[in-house]
Amino acid sequence: MLLSRRTLLQSAALASGLVPVPGLVLRAFAGPGAEKPILIVVHLRGGADGLNLVSPATDPVFIAARSTDLRVAADGPDAGYALAGSPDPNTEFRLHAAAGGLSELYGSGQLAFIHAAGLTDSTRSHFVATDMIERGVADARGLTRIRDGWLTRYLAHERAIGIAAVSAAGSVSGELLGRADALAVPDLGGGLAPAGGPQAREVLTGLYATRRDVFTAAGREALGAMTTIDSHVPRDDKGAVIAYQPDPGTAYESAAEFGRPLKALAQLIKMDLGLEVATVDIGGWDTHEYQAGRFKAAVGRLSNGLAAFWNDMQRYHDRMIVVTVSEFGRRLRSNRSNGTDHGRANVMMVLGGQVDGGRFHGGWPGLASDKLDEGVDLAVVTDYRQVLTEILQNRVKKPVAGVFPDYAFSGDLGIFSV
Amino acid sequence: MPDSAVSSPVSAFFALNRLGFGARPGEAAELARRGFRVWLDEQLKPPPGDDPETAQALEDAQLRIKYAAGDPAKNQNWEAVDEMRPLGTLAQPIDALWPTVAERDKHDGSERRRPLLEVISATLIRAVHSHYPLREAMCNFWNDHFNVDAWDSEQVAVALPTYDRDVIRPNCLGNFRHLLESVATSTAMLYYLSNHSSRAGAANENYGRELFELHTLGRQAYLNDKYDRWRDVPGAPEGRPVGYIDEDVYESARSFTGWTVEDGTAIDGGRKLPQTGRFAYVENWHDGYQKRVLAADITEFQPAMADGRRVLDLVASHPATALFVCTKLVRRLVADNPPAGLVEAATRIWRDNLRAPDQIAKVVRAIALSPEFAASRGVKVRRPFALVAGFARTGGLDLMPTEPLINTISAAGQRLYGYPNPTGLPDNKAYFLGTNSMRARWQLALGLAQNSWGTGAFHPAAVMGEAAPSARDAAAFWLAAFTGSADPQQVAAIVDGMGLVPEQPVGPPDTPDAEKRLVLIAAYAAMSPGFQSC
Repeated sequence: MLLSRRTLLQSAALASGLVPVPGLVLRAFAGPGAEKPILIVVHLRGGADGLNLVSPATDPVFIAARSTDLRVAADGPDAGYALAGSPDPNTEFRLHAAAGGLSELYGSGQLAFIHAAGLTDSTRSHFVATDMIERGVADARGLTRIRDGWLTRYLAHERAIGIAAVSAAGSVSGELLGRADALAVPDLGGGLAPAGGPQAREVLTGLYATRRDVFTAAGREALGAMTTIDSHVPRDDKGAVIAYQPDPGTAYESAAEFGRPLKALAQLIKMDLGLEVATVDIGGWDTHEYQAGRFKAAVGRLSNGLAAFWNDMQRYHDRMIVVTVSEFGRRLRSNRSNGTDHGRANVMMVLGGQVDGGRFHGGWPGLASDKLDEGVDLAVVTDYRQVLTEILQNRVKKPVAGVFPDYAFSGDLGIFSV
Repeated sequence: MPDSAVSSPVSAFFALNRLGFGARPGEAAELARRGFRVWLDEQLKPPPGDDPETAQALEDAQLRIKYAAGDPAKNQNWEAVDEMRPLGTLAQPIDALWPTVAERDKHDGSERRRPLLEVISATLIRAVHSHYPLREAMCNFWNDHFNVDAWDSEQVAVALPTYDRDVIRPNCLGNFRHLLESVATSTAMLYYLSNHSSRAGAANENYGRELFELHTLGRQAYLNDKYDRWRDVPGAPEGRPVGYIDEDVYESARSFTGWTVEDGTAIDGGRKLPQTGRFAYVENWHDGYQKRVLAADITEFQPAMADGRRVLDLVASHPATALFVCTKLVRRLVADNPPAGLVEAATRIWRDNLRAPDQIAKVVRAIALSPEFAASRGVKVRRPFALVAGFARTGGLDLMPTEPLINTISAAGQRLYGYPNPTGLPDNKAYFLGTNSMRARWQLALGLAQNSWGTGAFHPAAVMGEAAPSARDAAAFWLAAFTGSADPQQVAAIVDGMGLVPEQPVGPPDTPDAEKRLVLIAAYAAMSPGFQSC
């Protein structure tokens, strides 16, 4: 072996997680006591059919517009979960039959719905709508002017230390655009050390130490973050990663591929490295055809995943808020491919220990044709930024400004009980 | 590297890396000797089919396939398979492959995924061996532009060989209108954007929308937030609207109703489509009434496919399409933030050649000969696929793709033929340089060098022609080979980091120790910042 004494000392230090490597930008971490609230944004990518998830099951207009397998039944063997606190006295709302986990969270009073929420802009383009929601704007002008994500602007309000912002995905989500130290961590199952052991780490540290270009900066940043996180991944005496043990009763596998990033996120949160905001994605919602089976599977993943994550995060409930967003909802009337095309308003969900849950907040415009957006889609009555602003203000217990440019907060919907 | 010998403002090393997938040993010197323009013009007119060396590599290639016997109790009637198999689906017509999806009781799922893995393997092999790497780079570009996700759909996976071979490949330097119709009638796209199930009455809008937003006019021309009615769009009264709104999407969706795939679906009463996987036009499903797209009237009851084709004419010739696609070409070939002047020049050539059979080649040529291109060395990220192909080309590695390699390329952010979103892979460096992606990039270089995934042995000493060079010379050689220069600080980082003495041989000649260290030195050179860009 040609390992230098320095390499050996460093690897010993790294194994103990204590001593920084010269030349690496190790993140200071918050440690116990710095218990900041944690905000998690779950992005339902593709435009989820909110009308079929939190469904106006007995509305005759809805029943007429949809084939039976594209709406939630109010009775019979496939009936969805009844929901207390309907936003419309004449309509019974039900959760999709695959959303048992969400139904329990709703029943326990920790999950609330804000229906008919979304962008005030009329775009039905995935990519325009996604960009707007991620950057926290609501029109084309905002997109040209605002180049960073709303979580990035929010975090700029306070000094973040340690690993403050993470996307549990292969790349950093648009909400964190412009946040140089945001990390993408889709999986921690194999730890986060670079391949090649201590020698590779030492060579990489040297290779990425001096140059000033963006590629070098990216490598240096990656090495620092990898080392910080990996030093908290438990390993056995042979150096193999010890598999993460979630809290008892947690079944991430029931959420299929949505379980993996949630598990990584839970593991990261329990490292107490100062995490303040995180994003996680769940896909499979762009159901232009054969919607029934695909949608049911997606709802199952979402519901089981959030239920598992919430179970695993018991100790953190009081300081945690989970919010779901989707770029738009889907057309009221199904198409002849037995699917639904791009629509407008959607349901947002807020889950948290301090949420006034088990009920709906915000208004419901109804589905009468004169109430529909452009005559075809559920209209937006709650600006998504109102929900997000309320969440941020609850989080820091004071008004926040500048996170959503050109938006005037119109007051609390009352999502929180504390 | 013989970079200094180049008389053109474009360095040979740079040209081979940006317009292709890296320089094979001796290739940069050869290009420099012949001149960049000569090389470029040859690249822009590749003979059809693969060059003999590439064809041989494809013929020699084998990929493992393994699955258990089906369970007859579940009506699964197939034998167990575990074999190394040649890339036999590449040349097959779709009707030869379609039975794997049509007759599910006779085929394990691995057979349905097989065409996808074979096309990925062939794409890698071509990038490594091809004498026409620019064609490979352009196929790569159009596969991103006309993205399909073959990982998510068995039908798309089975349709991939024909999509690559008959749709993208022959048109990658050809005419855009022709390419566009080829895509519109392809089984892969008809399934991916669900047009195959679109019917008159309530048409499926998926393809119609992405045709405008992603394939042609682009989102800058989506004016739905400004105008509710088609005649309000500027230029519409004169028949030349500057952009499109939802009405255009809806009418376009109606135009493509009935464009479908022979997949056994019932048409009416006793009639059924055959099960071949080929394109079909079903009159009964088509909405034949009059339409208005981009302010142009399409009269009712046109002949078969005529109104869909009219829509393709309208969008392919629209000025916004020229701007959108040329911006993407300049972004890919020159810089993440495309220089406006060059985009304008490219757009002009595009519009002057709307009917030319080599429209795309003409635009690419103008971009590659521009001063902006020559000045753009090192500003683009080397994408994970290019990182792998570049390592193999420059390292003289006869790459044999395997599933673990393909999965690591995915982990680095580039799931081949499987970006889950119809936008296609993002073309900006930030997407590829996050913590997770950087880690996978380093793993790719190291894993290829050490043959961790059975992709073929790497013999650095053979490429160097020297079995036991000094540590410093070895590091300098591989840094120069991969990055175009042997920066002394980078050389020192490798030599010192490995604890080697710079002037001393890496080990006794022809010993495993010497070979192992050379492998690591080359791997570290490919893990250096200079090989992350091109």
